[in-house]
Order: sequence, then structure tokens, then C-alpha cells
Amino acid sequence: MESPEHQLEELKRYCTKLKAVPEGGVTYLYLEQLRLPAGCTPAVCDGLLCPVARDGYPSRLFLSVQVSSPYTRNWNVSNARIAEKNWVAFSWKVELKDPTLARLLIAHLNGFTKEK
Amino acid sequence: MQIEQTFEIEEADLEECLKRGERVPHARRYRVRIDCETVKIETPHPTGEALLARVGKRPCAFELIEEFVHCENNVVEPGETVDLRKHGLKGFITAHKEIVTIFINDKPYQIERGERTVAQILSKVDETTEGYILLEEKNGPPLPLAPDIPVKICGCEIFHSQVQAGGSS
Repeated sequence: MESPEHQLEELKRYCTKLKAVPEGGVTYLYLEQLRLPAGCTPAVCDGLLCPVARDGYPSRLFLSVQVSSPYTRNWNVSNARIAEKNWVAFSWKVELKDPTLARLLIAHLNGFTKEK
Repeated sequence: MQIEQTFEIEEADLEECLKRGERVPHARRYRVRIDCETVKIETPHPTGEALLARVGKRPCAFELIEEFVHCENNVVEPGETVDLRKHGLKGFITAHKEIVTIFINDKPYQIERGERTVAQILSKVDETTEGYILLEEKNGPPLPLAPDIPVKICGCEIFHSQVQAGGSS
């Protein structure tokens, strides 16, 4: 398993600024100007990765705006208030055993490029 | 004791020497034409890869061809050493390869240039779209590619694969 420092460095490549945001006993990872896969509009938006279980999902990726992508997604969270900001999220369940943070993020971003 | 004396000039221009019918002298630098650009090379024996790099190209996508007077051409391999003082050498041209090299999980693979499917690319590493995501590293971090959108291959593209692990719920 890669060290937490290395994992954070890897994650930094996906955004302009990375910040750990502790709230309600969970450390969220705030990804400013997160890069989204090709075909997404907008191409970047702020993201908030919750690497632990929440709302019945093993992990979640919150976004600052609802993103248009090649496949219609079920945006089942709107206006979730975390770190003094409102977030949206689509229903996407990622099941990876001991993923690195970057792999977890990629698996969530893959929700924009995968049909089901 | 025998001493070999070599007279070295500051700069030798291959084409100028050729026009004057002179042999290219030993020089500190050689002015060499590659396609439409003239570049200065500090050694008389550069490799094909080094010459390509001087015009911003890489052997994973391009080949280098020596051009001689009387229209003779010779493909130079990336690791091959060229003698810039070779008689009749005019310069070099580059050509886009038809079979290019791409990198998947840090290993090189050969593939035909043009539009390829994600499945074709993953098949190079014996993986399928059912089990794996293909990520492309293009001016930034590796991002997932949609399996049903063709991928344009020009050569030198960097891909990674990752186990499929997500689904709508």
C-alpha cells in the first residue's frame, strides 16, 4: 500500500488545490478545479471526495455542479451542505478493496464514461 | 609518437559543404536540415532519436530518414548513430509511422495509427472492457475513457488500465 503522502501527491495531479476537510468525524478531500473525463461539461469543477462509507455507499464523490456527460446519471444528492458549500452527487457505487485515493477517484470519475 | 592533427572549425553547414563539393570538416557544431528546420548539432555522430528530438519528435510516432544527393534515402533507427560527415548527406526528413508505439501501464506496444477502440487498446494487455477501465494520460492526470468512443492514435500516447469497480446503484 502506498504511503498516505504519496497517495495525496497522486491525487494532487487531478486538481489545482487539494485540502483535507474534517467534518462530522469524516475527513473529506476537497479537490479544487477537479479535471473531469473527456465528454463532460464543464470540463472542470470542484470536487469533494468522501473516502469512507456515507449514505449507504462505500465512498462518494460530491461535485460543485451537476455535470453533463455521455450517459444520463441519477443525481440523487442535491444541496448536501459540507464544508460550508452545497454539493451534488450521482448514484455510483464503487467497490474496490484497499484502493489508493487516486484509484478511488478514477473509479468515481468512470461513472461519467460508463453506461451502467 | 604519431600525432593525428585534426583542424576543427566552429560550425559546418552540411548543405553548404555539399554545394561547394567539399567534404564536411571536423567542427564544434554542425548545421543540419531536418524537414524545413535547420538545427545545430554538437556532435558528428548523433543518434536518430537525438536528431528527432531536436525537431520535437519522438521515435514512438516518427521515423527519421537520411537524404543523400542523387535521391538516395535511408531510414535511421532511433538507436543508430549517424555520421554527419558522411559524403553526400544532404539532411534529414521525418515521416509519421504507420505502426506506432503506445505505452500501456508503462510498457510499449505497437499499434496501427488512426482511430482505435478502447477494446482494441486493452487487448494489447490481454484485458477487456468488461473487466477494465482504460485511462489516458494526456496533458494531465490519467482519466477514464468511454469504451464506445474511438480513441485517436498518433503514436506515443500513454494509457493505464484499472479494474472496473463502479456501477450505478
